[in-house]
Amino acid sequence: MTDTTDRVEDRLIAFLPNLRRFAISLSGSRDVADDLVQAACERALASADRFEPGTRFDAWMFRILRNLWIDQIRRRKTAGVQEDISDHHELSTGTGEREAEARMTLKSVAEAIGELADEQREVLLLVCVEELSYRDAAEVLGIPIGTVMSRLARARKNLGVAAGIEAAPARSDHSKGVRG
Amino acid sequence: MTKADFTDETLMRYADGELDAATAEALERDMETDDDLVARVALFIETRAAAKEALRPLLDEPVPAELTASVERMIAGKRAAGVAPQSGAGKPEAVVIPIAAAREVRRPKPVWLLPVAASLVAALVGGFLGFRLEQGGDIPPRGDIIAGIDSPALRQALASVPSGQEQQVDEHRFRAIATFTDRRQETCREFELDSETRSTVIAVACAAEGGWRVDFAVAAPGDSSGYAPASSTEALDAYLGAIEAAAPMAAAEEAAALKAIREPSKQ
Repeated sequence: MTDTTDRVEDRLIAFLPNLRRFAISLSGSRDVADDLVQAACERALASADRFEPGTRFDAWMFRILRNLWIDQIRRRKTAGVQEDISDHHELSTGTGEREAEARMTLKSVAEAIGELADEQREVLLLVCVEELSYRDAAEVLGIPIGTVMSRLARARKNLGVAAGIEAAPARSDHSKGVRG
Repeated sequence: MTKADFTDETLMRYADGELDAATAEALERDMETDDDLVARVALFIETRAAAKEALRPLLDEPVPAELTASVERMIAGKRAAGVAPQSGAGKPEAVVIPIAAAREVRRPKPVWLLPVAASLVAALVGGFLGFRLEQGGDIPPRGDIIAGIDSPALRQALASVPSGQEQQVDEHRFRAIATFTDRRQETCREFELDSETRSTVIAVACAAEGGWRVDFAVAAPGDSSGYAPASSTEALDAYLGAIEAAAPMAAAEEAAALKAIREPSKQ
């Protein structure tokens, strides 16, 4: 029944760089990410028969990995560990600036992405970076497509402000809707 | 003549190629004469390009050889055995307690739980919550586990303890982890129960008429500090995936959902 060209075990290795990038971007830590990727692969292989040939393998894998990550966050919160992982987000290669400095200087795009709210960052990663459709992103995140769109729009406006991505010639001040 | 008022989301959908043709056409017409509109669209085009560019180095980063090797081993194992790979060495093994009746009712299609469960050792917990199960036994008779878990005090805790908080329930420590809806829009709660000396039980219960139905439970041995080891949460993750659990509710949303369960008449 399983299509030999569409088997999870045949596709996993080639997909590792993407999976790892998503994991690093979600967790902000390479160590955490590598564990997540490993756990997600293990899960994917164990549930390979759940993957429907013809559907998007990347979306399926992202969903598995993200579910693992969400559960880790839940546990960390419940355990009362207050460590905010985004404090040491490793998206950029440089060291993070102090907040006061950061407020004065524009951030790199990678830093700005790292500082987005989790729910905004993940949808940005899936759509803009991994090029999933809104519908596939909604699947991965388990949220309605309308929520994907509203979060994604907010993520990009916030990113634009933080990283100084100007909306072309600043002919008028149209800052409405931008969260300050 | 007034122009259509395009929302940010509409402009973003245009930038992402997700806008229907008719609206896209109308938007393009207006953009010819409206620089501000062009600039707003440009923001979405540019943020997309910038995000992609900024994270490209992560994609080029070599995957650690250890990780690749580990995944290759798992794949080889699967190819060789044609079965689910075992959990990583050194991790405590979780014990899955299948709940026969619940599975029957609640599984419209094969769930992830089963292959994962098969990869875990099928030993059973004896005496944890006052029920006794035979070592190596199969699926326990329906009701044993639910009856063991489903005490009035637990029902009360499920309907009232906010996620992240603990409460003593009978002789166990009850810890609410999260509240979410499943694919049927039922309100479900993930929680843990610790006993003084034994394992932690991780469970999911969903609000059902007149109470709570425990649909999933995993007992994680060892670790008297509470907090179940990661391997047992893998089974849980698989289960949550299978029931299409939504993201955990925020505190206010959860409070409202629990209130609705406590006071069904006021809905």
